[in-house]
Amino acid sequence: MKTKPVIISLALFCLSAPVLADDDCDDPMTDWQPREQLRQKLEAEGWTVYRIKVDDGCYEVKGLAPEGGSAEALFAPASLELMELEREDDEDDEDDDDDNKDERGDGQARDKAQTDRPVPSNGIVKGRPTVTVE
Amino acid sequence: MKKILLVLGLAVSVALPALAQAREVTFTTELLDYGGDGAYMALYLTDLSGAYQGTLWVAGKKSKYYKHLSGWARGSRLDPAEYDGLTGASITSGRTLKITLDLDDALIDSGHEVRVDTAVEDMRDNRADVAVPLTTEGAGKPVSGRGYVRSFRYDF
Repeated sequence: MKTKPVIISLALFCLSAPVLADDDCDDPMTDWQPREQLRQKLEAEGWTVYRIKVDDGCYEVKGLAPEGGSAEALFAPASLELMELEREDDEDDEDDDDDNKDERGDGQARDKAQTDRPVPSNGIVKGRPTVTVE
Repeated sequence: MKKILLVLGLAVSVALPALAQAREVTFTTELLDYGGDGAYMALYLTDLSGAYQGTLWVAGKKSKYYKHLSGWARGSRLDPAEYDGLTGASITSGRTLKITLDLDDALIDSGHEVRVDTAVEDMRDNRADVAVPLTTEGAGKPVSGRGYVRSFRYDF
């Protein structure tokens, strides 16, 4: 067996691990740095921090990002490394705009994805529901 | 011939009641102007003792927040099969969500209850913001919620 290609492949796999990491954090609690440490670090970078809480093992920060605009970010509690950043104006599901649009101008927004939704099969609801937001 | 017709008639009269009859039901949920982010909501059915029976609709698309709809989350075990095809966007403060769907007649006037759990980010979660029996008599009668729901009703 040729060992060189195997070693190279393994090395590449190890380097790619951070890219494959998912949103949740799994740092042991004994390694966590205090929230105050994270707050100081972010404020030094230009953040306005509203609050820091723990969510799915990560520090979840809500505030104003250095570039401006509301944002929510996840940080690994041990390394304080940024895991995920979500700009408030980028959210594509919290707003009704993407799915419920008042296209007819009659004050009613219809769920545009109605016909794209799978037919429910939970044994309670028959067929596709019709949804409007007024 | 007469005997055949008699047997057929008897068979049909026995079989017909066994065929499930469905009814169109419209659930209308009006939210208060609570001044926060869009509300996540779960509409679901329970039995007399409050045990989860099935999902009617979930407003809000990020499943990681579904745990905040605690009554529904516990009953459904957040199994995607329970809510596949029954999700949509969260509902903005002050707006009204109207859902029309078909339900088996057997679920009406049989001790089932409609419940609505609500949650808003950075604000409180409300398990059973609304809890009303699903009955013919209750149709068309609005009820107040305990949290973000200003008014809830169902119509046949």
